[in-house]
Amino acid sequence: MGVGQYLNDLVTGAWSLASGMGVTVRYMFKPVSTVQYPRERLPLPEAYRGHIELIPHEGGHRCVACGECFRTCPSAVIKVQGFKRQASDHTRARYFFIDYSRCSLCGLCVEVCPEKALRFSREYEQAEVSRYGAVVDLMARLHEGGPS
Amino acid sequence: MLNIFSEAWQALLNFFGPLALVLVVGLVVALTYVQINALFLVWLERKVAGHIQLRIGPKEVGPFGVLQTIVDGVKLLSKELITPRPASWLLFVLSPILVFMPVLVPFVVLPFGENLQIRDLNVGLMLIFAFAGLNVLAILMGGWASNNKYALLGAVRSVAQNVAYEIPLLLSAMSVVIMANSLSLRAIVEAQQGLWFVFVQPVAAVLYLVGATAETNRAPFDIPEAESELVAGFHTEYSGMRFGLFFLAEYTNMFIVASVATTLFFGGWRGPIADGPWWFLAKVYLLIFGVIWVRWTFPRLRFDQLMNLAWKYLIPIALVNLLATALILKLVR
Amino acid sequence: MLRKTLTDDTFYLNMGPQHPSTHGVLRLLLRLDGERIVECEPVLGYSHRGHEHMAQTKSYLRFMPNPSRMDYLAGLMYNHAYCLALERACGVEAPRRAQYIRLICAELNRIASHLLWFGAYLLDLGGFTPFLYAFDDREDILAILGEVTGSRLTYSYCRFGGVARDLTPAFPQMTRAFIAKLRARLADYDTLVSKNIIFINRTKGIGPISREQARDYALSGPNLRACGIGHDLRRVEPCSVYPDLDFQTVTTNQDAGIGDCYDRYLVRMGEMAQSLDIVEQALELIPEGPIRAKGVPQEPAPPPGDYQFSYESARGLLSIYLVSDGSRVPVRMKWRTPSFSNLSILPLLLPGTLVADTVAILGSLDLVIPEIDR
Repeated sequence: MGVGQYLNDLVTGAWSLASGMGVTVRYMFKPVSTVQYPRERLPLPEAYRGHIELIPHEGGHRCVACGECFRTCPSAVIKVQGFKRQASDHTRARYFFIDYSRCSLCGLCVEVCPEKALRFSREYEQAEVSRYGAVVDLMARLHEGGPS
Repeated sequence: MLNIFSEAWQALLNFFGPLALVLVVGLVVALTYVQINALFLVWLERKVAGHIQLRIGPKEVGPFGVLQTIVDGVKLLSKELITPRPASWLLFVLSPILVFMPVLVPFVVLPFGENLQIRDLNVGLMLIFAFAGLNVLAILMGGWASNNKYALLGAVRSVAQNVAYEIPLLLSAMSVVIMANSLSLRAIVEAQQGLWFVFVQPVAAVLYLVGATAETNRAPFDIPEAESELVAGFHTEYSGMRFGLFFLAEYTNMFIVASVATTLFFGGWRGPIADGPWWFLAKVYLLIFGVIWVRWTFPRLRFDQLMNLAWKYLIPIALVNLLATALILKLVR
Repeated sequence: MLRKTLTDDTFYLNMGPQHPSTHGVLRLLLRLDGERIVECEPVLGYSHRGHEHMAQTKSYLRFMPNPSRMDYLAGLMYNHAYCLALERACGVEAPRRAQYIRLICAELNRIASHLLWFGAYLLDLGGFTPFLYAFDDREDILAILGEVTGSRLTYSYCRFGGVARDLTPAFPQMTRAFIAKLRARLADYDTLVSKNIIFINRTKGIGPISREQARDYALSGPNLRACGIGHDLRRVEPCSVYPDLDFQTVTTNQDAGIGDCYDRYLVRMGEMAQSLDIVEQALELIPEGPIRAKGVPQEPAPPPGDYQFSYESARGLLSIYLVSDGSRVPVRMKWRTPSFSNLSILPLLLPGTLVADTVAILGSLDLVIPEIDR
């Protein structure tokens, strides 16, 4: 290795380091890109997929408990049970539970629903202290008119 | 019992005179300052790193998060001190203490201001470098005593690195010593009356700063603790305040090498107007900012490349620089 | 190797399954002589979930969310590949618009995956800052994909015969803004990383793979292209609407035929720029129209037979082998994932290198462990 090569290595190396430091110092004076979460929140996209919920419809819901959603659900998250007031009535769903802890948010249930009775909620803060806390009673949510 | 102490104190006073008082007061002040400095530096590092990385760093505790480090310190204090069963416990426990003790000694000779110096020794610079060397011993001890392969690898790397980097550090400091004709730090500052040595000895200054970064195990030379390779290097097994002491020592070491750089190359407490300790501190923290900036810019060197850098570039250049300085001084005088 | 007792000065070091740079749960059993590696054995299976078996127990439709979970960094591409495989098996074609939407999303996903790799690789080499810059850019992609698909990591967005949702009006503009931003960023990465002397020293000449070795070990993706073999399934065996688009396969070292970590890095950086071009072109070409094919059954049931489909994922050749008996549940579904083969060359590359190089080589192969284990 000649002296020229040696000095050349030294200079190019030092220059590459200096230009790298130039980049970082430029970024130092750029506005920060983080959002301070509990104090600020990002707007949720229109398409956001939370867990499912029943769409309110004329003071109730449209679910007829046909069971298409729980047959399609990849993780068997959904439990729905319907009943008839009289033999001549249509079946209406009375109980609708999901076990959110196993849900993979694929959205297949919403797609297969023949009555279009389901939609995605816009909730994303769902920390619970026990796994039973993750079981959501969709009927209760619907009647409480819980956060949408 | 009390009598013995007071008699001993009396004897010390008689022996050293007022010097003992200065030493004791000075060391207490230094110890306090070490803590405050570490708190501030950790905060500064996190803030600077944050802004370089497009985030804001600590902000919750206190204004701009300045008190965050105190909270972290309390957390460290409250943590359990774990000693691994296969560890050699005496050395394991001793190591963090040994790593922390030597960093206090250089404060005895650091000239913060014209009269703000605990004791001006005529071998001040030697004292600092001698005690900086002890650091390695403690790290080796800690790494070996942990009985952990990662810690051992980290400790071995640390020793090789420190041995290699002390040479350019000393050589570059030497060229300043030749110019100032003294090892006393105050005399070196006095010698920079007109012109700071950084303008006379730019090569030595750069070499010193590179060597100092390596000496304090800072990125890009942080191979002893390289977290992506060795988990946490020599302090893998340390928890709680034992880890805290390593941490404290690292940041204090940063302060010391920056202070020595200020003294050797940047005119110490002298400034354009109103000489005083404020100039000293401003320069020190500016240098530390530079070190932090470097850390958050570069990837880490590999171990053998680190050695190459020392033996192939830094040491030959430092030697040539030293010889040239000596020759020119001989011709001029 | 596991049971051998050592009599010389070497010792074993267990790197992983919990180690900062084995990304997930790979375990490397290293035999070290000081810092030099004598032998290396990757140990797998720490995140095996049995996806292939799961496929045999549920219908094709219900397996839809699973492929994204194999390679969670390129979830959309796996989702895309699965749908394409099913469509080919059933002889269904998705509408042009849906094909373009899928392609744009998949290419964005490829950029996101490469960006994450870039950040994590620099993290392995000890540079923390590029990691967060890369995440800043990736965040933009995730916001764009979230706008279309509604989720950020495991999308389940492609459907048998189309996609789940149409593009939103904000999408083209968001994407164009992102393309402009990332192009500027790539120049910064060039200054900060590609030209950095420390980075070059850490990667140049480390972990060289020759063309023959790459063929022998069935490497694919950027790792293969870094050895000068211009094999890109998007060009060699194009699926979807790739034939309509104009792009060149990114390779390095066409003549030398040997690729090191730096080449693999360059190929991935080149592919990011290339994917930006592809997305830009696709945004121009995208037609209006429906997003779901008409008259397609809800539950796909391919006619009896064997089907094989290959796809160029972010990490290389992804291949799905399907055996159907005509029912809605597959008899066998074999996934050939790229990282498994890419990992297999590691024991060949490591001996003789240092511990620090292990991290550099391992990182440069861009392994996603859950995709190896499945």
